[in-house]
Amino acid sequence: MTRFWMALALLLALAAPAFAQAQPPPVPSPSRVAPGGAAAARQRPAGRGGAPAEAAQGDARGGSDEKDAGGAKAADEAAPKGFSNSRMAALFFWVFAGLTIAGALFVITRRNLIAAVMGMVATFFALAGLYAMLYAHFLAAIQVLVYAGAIMVLFVFVVMILNRPEDEPWALQGLLGKGLAGVAILYLLVRLSGVLWAIKDQPHAEMAGPSPPPVAVVVKGGAAEHPGKAPPREDAFGSTRAVGKVLFNQYLFPFEAVSLVLLVAVVGGIAVARPHRDEDHEKKIVVVS
Amino acid sequence: MKQATLLWIPALPLIGAAFNLLFGRFLSRRTVHLVAVAAVAASFFYAAYLVGGPLWEAFKAWRGQKTEVMDGLYQHVYTWIEVGSFKVDLAFRMDTLSALMVLVVTFVGSLIHIYSTGYMSEEPRYAAYFGYLNLFTGAMLILVLGNNLPVMFIGWEGVGLCSYLLIGFWFTEEAFAYAGRKAFIVNRIGDFGFLLGICLLFYATGTLDIYSPNADHPSLMSESSVAAYRETFFGGERLALFAGILLFIGACGKSAQIPLYVWLPDAMAGPTPVSALIHAATMVTAGVYMVARMSFLYAHSTTAMAIVAGVGALTALMAAIMAFAQTDLKRVLAYSTVSQLGFMFVGVGVGAYTAGIFHLMTHAFFKAGLFLAAGSVMHAMSGSGDITKMGGLKKYLPQTHICFLIYCLAIAGIVPFAGFFSKDEILIGAFGTEAQGWFPMYGKVLWILLSLAALGTAFYMFRLYYLVFSGENRSDPETRGHIHESPLSMTGPLIVLAIGTLVVGFLGLPHLTFVQKYVPNFLAEWLEPSLVDFGRPSLEGSIHQAHASDVGLLTLMGIALGIGVVGILLASALYSKGPSSVVARFTAGAGAEIYRLAKNKFYVDELYDKIIVRPFRWIALGVFEVIDRFLIDWVLVEGSAFVVDLFGRITRWFQNGQVQRYMVGLVLGGALILFFATRPDADFDWQQVDTLTVQFEADVGKGPGSNGAEVSFDFDDDGTADFTATWKKGDPPVVTTWSFSRPGEHDVSMTLKDAVFKKTGTVEKTVVVEEASGHGEAAAVEKAATTDESARTPVGAGGAQ
Amino acid sequence: MNDIFYKLTVSHFLILAAVLFAIGTVGVLMRRNALIVMMSIELMMNAANLTILAFARYHGGTAGLEGHSLAFIVIAVAAAEAAVGLAIVVAVFRTRRHADIDRLNLLKN
Repeated sequence: MTRFWMALALLLALAAPAFAQAQPPPVPSPSRVAPGGAAAARQRPAGRGGAPAEAAQGDARGGSDEKDAGGAKAADEAAPKGFSNSRMAALFFWVFAGLTIAGALFVITRRNLIAAVMGMVATFFALAGLYAMLYAHFLAAIQVLVYAGAIMVLFVFVVMILNRPEDEPWALQGLLGKGLAGVAILYLLVRLSGVLWAIKDQPHAEMAGPSPPPVAVVVKGGAAEHPGKAPPREDAFGSTRAVGKVLFNQYLFPFEAVSLVLLVAVVGGIAVARPHRDEDHEKKIVVVS
Repeated sequence: MKQATLLWIPALPLIGAAFNLLFGRFLSRRTVHLVAVAAVAASFFYAAYLVGGPLWEAFKAWRGQKTEVMDGLYQHVYTWIEVGSFKVDLAFRMDTLSALMVLVVTFVGSLIHIYSTGYMSEEPRYAAYFGYLNLFTGAMLILVLGNNLPVMFIGWEGVGLCSYLLIGFWFTEEAFAYAGRKAFIVNRIGDFGFLLGICLLFYATGTLDIYSPNADHPSLMSESSVAAYRETFFGGERLALFAGILLFIGACGKSAQIPLYVWLPDAMAGPTPVSALIHAATMVTAGVYMVARMSFLYAHSTTAMAIVAGVGALTALMAAIMAFAQTDLKRVLAYSTVSQLGFMFVGVGVGAYTAGIFHLMTHAFFKAGLFLAAGSVMHAMSGSGDITKMGGLKKYLPQTHICFLIYCLAIAGIVPFAGFFSKDEILIGAFGTEAQGWFPMYGKVLWILLSLAALGTAFYMFRLYYLVFSGENRSDPETRGHIHESPLSMTGPLIVLAIGTLVVGFLGLPHLTFVQKYVPNFLAEWLEPSLVDFGRPSLEGSIHQAHASDVGLLTLMGIALGIGVVGILLASALYSKGPSSVVARFTAGAGAEIYRLAKNKFYVDELYDKIIVRPFRWIALGVFEVIDRFLIDWVLVEGSAFVVDLFGRITRWFQNGQVQRYMVGLVLGGALILFFATRPDADFDWQQVDTLTVQFEADVGKGPGSNGAEVSFDFDDDGTADFTATWKKGDPPVVTTWSFSRPGEHDVSMTLKDAVFKKTGTVEKTVVVEEASGHGEAAAVEKAATTDESARTPVGAGGAQ
Repeated sequence: MNDIFYKLTVSHFLILAAVLFAIGTVGVLMRRNALIVMMSIELMMNAANLTILAFARYHGGTAGLEGHSLAFIVIAVAAAEAAVGLAIVVAVFRTRRHADIDRLNLLKN
């Protein structure tokens, strides 16, 4: 296994330079500094191209640890658009994507249950990274906490309970049907990929992303001090506060309903899985003659 | 049109029948036969009252006015069927003809009911017997009194049913049951022809009423119907011919003519009074009555009349021959009935309707009498009818003997007994009738055949007489010990009928001038208003009955009488002392062939069995095997079980309890949905806007791929695109025009390249371009033949330049 | 060609999600152990989540956070479902001493 990880790290190191930015996008005129407020909602991608690239590179050299996704990157984000378009982002994407797929393949191919669980955890972490790239910071954190932290732990517990040695891992019954299904899956994948690929060119609503800073940097002497270094807003897109605002206002009912779902799951889980003692079975049905 | 409650005439016997059939078996025999006899007798007296009173008045009125058709007595009970223009009432009408029939039926019927009380006194199913007998009488009266063909048909079927019930009365004997069934089936065949005739008449005239009380509703006798009868219907022949023949087929079935007579001899399996009533006096005469009733129809087709008469004559002769060889008392009488019915049909066939009805009436008396006497004899002989074992009974059964003799003389046609007058009139009528479309001398040929039959009649009847009553008694001692005369209940009717036989003949005295001066032919006058008059202008003199001189008439009468006498003498010579050795030698030697044929009824029954019954059995068996066994049991029942099982098996594949199988289903379904939802559905529309210029509009279809799709048209069928455009969502539809180089048909194809799925779909259509405006050539005009093009022409013609 | 690798678009995420989903489906179909099957189902749900969030980011506009709410709910529900599902697996294992779904076919026919 270690060899696997080592090989992966090597691959990464070799591939990273390819993603170095060739040239930073042009820096726009300083007069373009938006005073905030009315123009705050509009994104000006061209204006912030250069600085974020450097910042991103700095991040990359900082040694991005995939497991350490989440809020760290978001804190460095000054001009979101720029980073998202950069090659560095693309590198991150491919790394995370590769890890996701690798983890998923682990899950479905390992005979050892614990190995499969570990693969699953890797997938979840990689997905959290991807969520972060998508400016869903809050959800990235939740993903790690709930999925990798709680659900997988639960799976580990159950694996420990089911300590029976694995039989033949592959379900080969009804292989014809499954073969057909496999073909169908392939067909679906190919076709839908075509659709999905075309979606990027379709006209769509605006991108959602972090809002510009609420307060403009004061121009002293006609030039912005650190135009790209404004701190991110507290209720930036994808932040806890922002999601919370939506959850507790518009989606309060589903939120509360979900809590009910969890309650039911708890009760149900206990009811199903508790050991049934003999006294439960004493309530027998009496046959009336 | 006088109203009278005619309904009682058939209703009284029907009520008696209902009473006896429902309750009779709980009551005493006395009650049963009292009710039955009272019902029929009451019907007779009521009918007599109606005839003597209201009908007689109507008759006198008619004689005063001489309208074409007599009103008679009429009763409309209720409207039975009314569907669109098809209206059938339950209506009765009594005119002179039906009055005569009613009286005969009820009178003879009453006598036979009385006779039955004696004859059937030992019968366990007494009540059923009288019930059926009453039922029969009721049905016969409905038949006779019905004012329209459907009501007549009710009676027709009713008597057929009762015939079946009564022939097969002792059904525990298998042969008797079969006889009943045979009668019913053969009858039914005739009834089918009758029904077809009814349908044809309705189709031609739109009505089925024989007589209509109000002038604006047509009847079968009215002018419009008569015109319909005379129209050519098929193959150059008149409608009247086909209707007449179809109805006559029914009459053949009922009245036992060739080829449907085969049931009558077997019908002797029933009780003898039944034979007397049904198969001598009433049911079998229904056919003759029907032809007479429909005289207004038959008169318009001389061919139909020829057929009726011809069949009658042949039947008369053939039955007579068959009667020679029979050794059962009732069988001889049965064949005699068939033969005499033939006479009657000849009578109505040549247009001598009065003669035919007259013979019907006299025959009712003496044939019923003959059967009742035969019953008396069989009663004495402990139930046997084998004449070879009888003989010399005249000293044991004196009353029966005298009556029997009288009947025989009547049937042989000896003056002054009834048969002489009636048979004579038929012979004279046949001899003297000429009609259009008949073979020359056809009437004379008929006369010869009938004379031969008459000779035969006299001969075999007296053969019967001598073999039964003369000579030495040939029965075994035990039977001989039981021979006794019948009780009064049986001999009484015999005597009454004998008296009738003597008297009835004088109702229809011949048309000799010296006779007519003093005593008219009552019957002819009485029946005149009900039968067609050949002098009617509409008949155009197609039938002509020669007015013979007295001398001619007397000659013919003499010949007839002579024939009868010869027959009697021949029979007495051969049989007066018992079975004749001469005959025996003859039948064993030279006449063996003929004898065998006659004795076996010309093998007609066997013939029918071979060509009709057996094939039907085969067909039935085949149908059973194919349709019932194979089609229904195997294909439908087993088959549907199989299909259900098959579907179950298929469905069960999906539900094997394994979750992964269900997932497979999900995935496959999803793939299928995607496949079908993304097929290209491009189409294009075209319209001609100018001379040789057509505008095309492309419809890219719905689906994600249409956005950004590439549309290209190929107008000249050369494989290269002539026009290409890309369509984005929100754009107007792709429209282009193209001018063709020549008019006519062009193949245009449109290709759609889908942006998302990268699928290419092609639609090909044939565009018809036509020359617009008037200076088009003929070729272009031909191409404009398609209907949707003619709608477009104005567009092209008026198109802007 | 280079742009596919260097320029990120929404389609990248979507196709990744599709592949993840496909892998999950294959896992459901081809593995015998009930736990692995449940994990494959979780994979499928995560693929859906990824899709939701990708669209929320790229096509969300002002309503992007609603996508986040939905993803949140999905995670919660997935947790509940996993809990109950595992409870069932445990219960089944207790009586049958195996968690082989090929042999769990009492609903047959």
